[in-house]
Amino acid sequence: MASNLAVAVLNGIVWGMIMALIALGLNLIFGLLHIINMAHGALYMLGAVFSWYVIELTGNYWLALIVAPLGVGLVGLALERGILRTIEDQPVVTIICTFGIMLVLQQLVLTYFGGTACRIALPIPWRIPLFDLQYPVMRIVIAAISAAVMGTLWLFLNRTRYGLWMRAVVQDREMAVALGIPVHKVYMWTFVLGSVLAAFSGVLAAPIVCVDFMMGREILIMAFIIVIVGGMGNLWGSVVTAVMISLIHGVGSIFVVPSTATVFSLGFMILVLLVRPQGLFGE
Amino acid sequence: MKERKGKKSVHEVMGMEVSRRDFLRTTAVGAAGLAVGSLPFAPFTYGASTPIRIGMIQENTVGATAYGYWLTKVARAAVAKLNAEGGISGRKVELVEYDTKVNPAWASSMFKKLILEDKVDFTMGSVHSGVQMAVFPLAEQYKMPYIGGGAMAAGLTGKDAIAYYTRIHTHARMQAAAGWKWGFDNLGKNWTFLVADYAWGHSLAEEFGSRIKAAGGKTQTILAPQNTSDFVPFLQKVDPDTKVLFTAFLGAPALGVMRQTVELGLHKRLQRYTVICCTDGVGQETVGKESAGAHYLSYYPRYASQVPKELQAYDKTYRKAIGMTDDAKDASNPKNTATVSHMWTMWTTPYMIKLAVEKSGWKDSKKNADFMKAFNTLMVKAGPWAPQGDLVMRENDHQGFHDHYLEEVQPNLSLKVIARISKEKLMYDAPVDLRSKL
Repeated sequence: MASNLAVAVLNGIVWGMIMALIALGLNLIFGLLHIINMAHGALYMLGAVFSWYVIELTGNYWLALIVAPLGVGLVGLALERGILRTIEDQPVVTIICTFGIMLVLQQLVLTYFGGTACRIALPIPWRIPLFDLQYPVMRIVIAAISAAVMGTLWLFLNRTRYGLWMRAVVQDREMAVALGIPVHKVYMWTFVLGSVLAAFSGVLAAPIVCVDFMMGREILIMAFIIVIVGGMGNLWGSVVTAVMISLIHGVGSIFVVPSTATVFSLGFMILVLLVRPQGLFGE
Repeated sequence: MKERKGKKSVHEVMGMEVSRRDFLRTTAVGAAGLAVGSLPFAPFTYGASTPIRIGMIQENTVGATAYGYWLTKVARAAVAKLNAEGGISGRKVELVEYDTKVNPAWASSMFKKLILEDKVDFTMGSVHSGVQMAVFPLAEQYKMPYIGGGAMAAGLTGKDAIAYYTRIHTHARMQAAAGWKWGFDNLGKNWTFLVADYAWGHSLAEEFGSRIKAAGGKTQTILAPQNTSDFVPFLQKVDPDTKVLFTAFLGAPALGVMRQTVELGLHKRLQRYTVICCTDGVGQETVGKESAGAHYLSYYPRYASQVPKELQAYDKTYRKAIGMTDDAKDASNPKNTATVSHMWTMWTTPYMIKLAVEKSGWKDSKKNADFMKAFNTLMVKAGPWAPQGDLVMRENDHQGFHDHYLEEVQPNLSLKVIARISKEKLMYDAPVDLRSKL
């Protein structure tokens, strides 16, 4: 029981941190651009796939952790400039458009990467004993890296000029334009940043799960739940909610079948939306 | 008229005047002569009869795509070989293909299209039990022979069986019959089944589990969604006394559960056992070192070196024809691993269609019932069309029987055959009798 609880809590935190990064990217894009990005899961998958190629070429996971998100950032740049720029601020249209982008990305990966799942070796192979079970050190490192990235993002948003511009555009777009803030550039870099965060999560998750062209599908649904429960556009609400939902699922799995524990997470979402429709931490 | 220097006119060459009518008549007679002369050498009497059309549904996108790729590739190679050998009853064979998208509703509409628009004569394919079940009503309604291509739910030729469906390969019940005893005797008597929460996973847990319990063993079943990416919450629930962890997932989750079992250190206290379906089409280098020591129940040895001696010549020809290397890689892409244990079904099925057509005297859909009767009484001997070995069909439940293998993952990650289980040992009692339903 003690080992199960320890593993459940640890694993809940690890997945909470990974999910938080994904949800942060999704929320960042929605909060600023009002794009409901259905392709976010595909960008997460693309990050994992790019990392697999980098590791195949260099054998270095840590290099992949830097290169793959940047590669996906370029894809995000092309998507924003080429497709999404014209439909920003039209949420319904963006749903259809990004859904199409998701399908295209999935099928492109299926064509070139293939339909067989691939595995990335754990860059840190050690395990720590946890009562009568063991737990991989790499997962703890992943949680730590996620926390570091979130800290860096906080600093970026609160201590840099670009971060100030982003917050200004969210608060009052017209005023931001009047004050000379390059709103379209801010939009562009926000979408790129969101894409990079999704891809970064993909690279982090890749050694835990397997790289597969459909790996973004389930993640996307959970990311949306987190964003809705945490509050649309509320970045730090997403972080807290991600950890909370993962912990509810992990600890719940000790007492009931893990599939049923998912119902707890969904029940929690319904409860929050009934009591606080604006999300736990407000919009 | 100006004469061309050094050049002769047609008249001068031919020595006679050739009119347009003469030219056309001579050409027509010549062409007819050539056509008649070539007839004995042509494999088909084109135009004398329509081609036989085989409709095929496979999982080409969305999921299980490795199966779709290989089963399609093999079916095409088989049809090409069949045509090169003169087709079926002198008629050319055509393959009409559709993607199921692993979506039963979509697959149904494609199956209907095959029947009503493409006017196919026979249908085959799909490794997905749900997809196959979804097209059953159509096969039954239009009396369309449908030969499965790798789906493993026992009920397809059991409680859910229909008269116009037949399966030439193994399934969960046969796998249990083949694999439970060896596992029970050699690996342990206390089993946990961690399986995908749908028909196939349920079938395996039920079929293996009931035999283990009947023999005095203990079982625990944990169901997980097929799309699970992190199995830690499920693996935590494995009974501490478990000696055998039997897992059944397809694609990425199959690799995930293998890896995460090791990550939690469970591999040190239990044996791992599964069916090859979980990693068929996945190279051992991809499955990874976590698989060392695991046991697979397979239906065709992955490596040519592990194929029984008496089948090696047929296996060699088969591998060459479909473009597969001795270590089960795509000859044109060494990173692509073949779904060896499943895809032979698409090699043997077109040949069995030919045998059944000839045996029943089938000409068109009016004799579909006779075709089904003939198909389900076939006994195919090991040979170029049956590299997997002898295959026997059972008329009662339209089920085929063939040998199975137990393969163990070696420390160098290769798969070594450690036991061969003959088809005679797998012949359980037929759960249904379809003979009067045709």
